[in-house]
Amino acid sequence: MIARAPCKLKSSDYKSDTKPVWCPGCGDYHVLLSLTKAVATLGLRPEEIAVISGIGCSSRIPAYLNCYGFHGIHGRALPLATGVKVARPELTVICAGGDGDGFSIGGNHLLHACRRNIDITYVVMDNEVYGMTKGQPSPTTAPDWESKIAPGGTGISPFYPLVIALASGANFVARAFSGDPNGTARTLVEAIKHPGFSFVQILSPCVTFRPDQREWKKQVHPAPVTPTADASKAARRVMTDDGFNIGVLYKGSREPYRQTVGHDIRFERNIDEEFLI
Amino acid sequence: MSHAPEILAPNFSMAELLVHALVVELEAVQSYKDLAAQMEQCGNKEVAELFQKMAVLEAEHAEKIREKSGDIELPELAPWEYRWPGVESPETIDLAGIHYLMTPHQALTLALENEKNAKEFFEDAAKGATDARVRDLASEFAEDERQHVAWMEDWLANYSEPDAGWDDDPDPPAAID
Repeated sequence: MIARAPCKLKSSDYKSDTKPVWCPGCGDYHVLLSLTKAVATLGLRPEEIAVISGIGCSSRIPAYLNCYGFHGIHGRALPLATGVKVARPELTVICAGGDGDGFSIGGNHLLHACRRNIDITYVVMDNEVYGMTKGQPSPTTAPDWESKIAPGGTGISPFYPLVIALASGANFVARAFSGDPNGTARTLVEAIKHPGFSFVQILSPCVTFRPDQREWKKQVHPAPVTPTADASKAARRVMTDDGFNIGVLYKGSREPYRQTVGHDIRFERNIDEEFLI
Repeated sequence: MSHAPEILAPNFSMAELLVHALVVELEAVQSYKDLAAQMEQCGNKEVAELFQKMAVLEAEHAEKIREKSGDIELPELAPWEYRWPGVESPETIDLAGIHYLMTPHQALTLALENEKNAKEFFEDAAKGATDARVRDLASEFAEDERQHVAWMEDWLANYSEPDAGWDDDPDPPAAID
């Protein structure tokens, strides 16, 4: 392995020349800032990072970064990220998206990504709404949130992503708030450094379709407890909190996925031959 | 957020004061540039230009701090290791106050608030300093920020407060009420 000098880039050095098209005031701007601060703090080079996403407002994030990126298809960010990590284990793989992409269309992938415990960090920018398609309720929307699309509310209980992640085997679980970019950067640094599958739910207000979420900054507060290594304890905590506890909830010690079958070049050759035209 | 650590009158070393001062300005430059781009994208050119001017103003201040730093080696701190009075640097824009139809008055009010925060930060740094050179430099930075506050107030006086309905959009992005 070639020894490399420590990378001393500024957070702004990780931004691409593409300007975000999120609505002014969107929480995702600060998530982008936190992510660039986190990778700058870790001293990662852009070529050592891959950011993979699905579809939705927040899933545009790879375009705004100058590392490797892949803007995939709806709900399939985690399978893509899994493939990247397995093929290129030396990369720091960060998967990003929203609550619709991750918990509805991609909900089943979340379960299995947690279960497989591959060393990737999954960042979900949760605004409890499908913003890109004009404000439909998502899996984390409160049952009584009314809109033209859901008059009277859906009446359906929301999904508890942190509990699901814990129950499915995620090795690191945290909640952050986009309005606290430095605190979120710290959580992301911890998540990226923690071995195995790290899941970070970032409350990121949608100012256009959920203007009520501007109030989140007054509602969030630090979790009154330190992280635990006991998943059932963590699950009980998150089931009984107010949804606005911010901080690292769980740090597990489960061994991350490792390839048990050696890299067999003959297998690759066989595939290449099969697809030769 | 309500969990801001209560840090009153920090006692900075010279290098710490300089790195904090530099980050206040550099983050403000980036933030104003980003806001200018957002407003430009939404066709709010007047506010975009204002944010662009603020970015220039902050960049000039950052340059002055760089010059003051000279050969002093500035510490490398993680974002959460800075000793701000709140969780973010004093000139961090609160995104909750941003709207695509915001008026110059609202943009300047936000900027004025930031300048006041920065002024207070440096005043506190001057109060808490036990090293006379640090105290003098923090006072000088506070004076610079006071100057910025005065400029912002003069600037703001040119714009009237927004009318009720300033955010009415005949073709709103929202499909909901």
